[in-house]
Amino acid sequence: MTDNTQVAPQGTNEVARKNEDAVRRATVTPAVDIVEDSHGITLWADLPGVSREKLDVKVHDARLTIEAEAELPVQGAVRVHHAELRAPRFARAFTVSDDFDTTKIDANLTNGVLRLTIPRREEARPRRVEVRAG
Amino acid sequence: MSDFYFGGDVFSELDRMQRQVSSLFGNLPSSIRSSRADAFPRLNIGSTDDAIHIVAFAPGVEPASLDVTVDKGTLTISGERKAQATVEGARTYAKERFNGSFRRVIELPQNADADKVEARYENGTLSITIGKREASKPRAITIQ
Repeated sequence: MTDNTQVAPQGTNEVARKNEDAVRRATVTPAVDIVEDSHGITLWADLPGVSREKLDVKVHDARLTIEAEAELPVQGAVRVHHAELRAPRFARAFTVSDDFDTTKIDANLTNGVLRLTIPRREEARPRRVEVRAG
Repeated sequence: MSDFYFGGDVFSELDRMQRQVSSLFGNLPSSIRSSRADAFPRLNIGSTDDAIHIVAFAPGVEPASLDVTVDKGTLTISGERKAQATVEGARTYAKERFNGSFRRVIELPQNADADKVEARYENGTLSITIGKREASKPRAITIQ
């Protein structure tokens, strides 16, 4: 081996990037309920089999993304006969209006249901305008 | 909050769109042999040499309201998922999640042992393990 042996750069070529995309693609869109009231918006998402450690809720530039991975308790070599939920990964993204304060999101995961509450900004709350007589 | 989203996963979005469109037509199955696309809970069924594993994806169900019974070679999972209490004057933008009572029946194979059934509810998934009878397990035959 000579001194001018070069190490091939890894992970920056087209092929590596395509593989990353393929990993991201196998996801399920979770079912959601979205309800808005005067305090803010509440979102429920069905994420069965997801523990708190495997759940990732991110907000970036008014874009809310939910990513999660389900852990199935079955171990060993299982032959699958019937699968209605094929990929154990969930992903969904939403655009959040500026009226909502994304810094005050409250997230709660119980029994595989994620509940997100995003409060309305103070200035965006519905207000009653007092009418003065006179 | 916008419902439009075309980032990342095109196939799961198409899947969701198909669910939405089929719900407009009352969610009827597409043929007599097929099950409803939106059946709740969704089931995965697999087996190992010793047992049959059934995973029911039933998030947000009170474990006390879940009922698993084995009778005459069928396994029945039933229960109820309650709807969220709605606040007066609230606007609903999406309502995709199932609520109400549900019931799913699975026919068990001959070799399933009804006395060896275990069920566990954790993180919104119900996993059921049904043992197989000794006689039906694969055996290696020694060649003389």
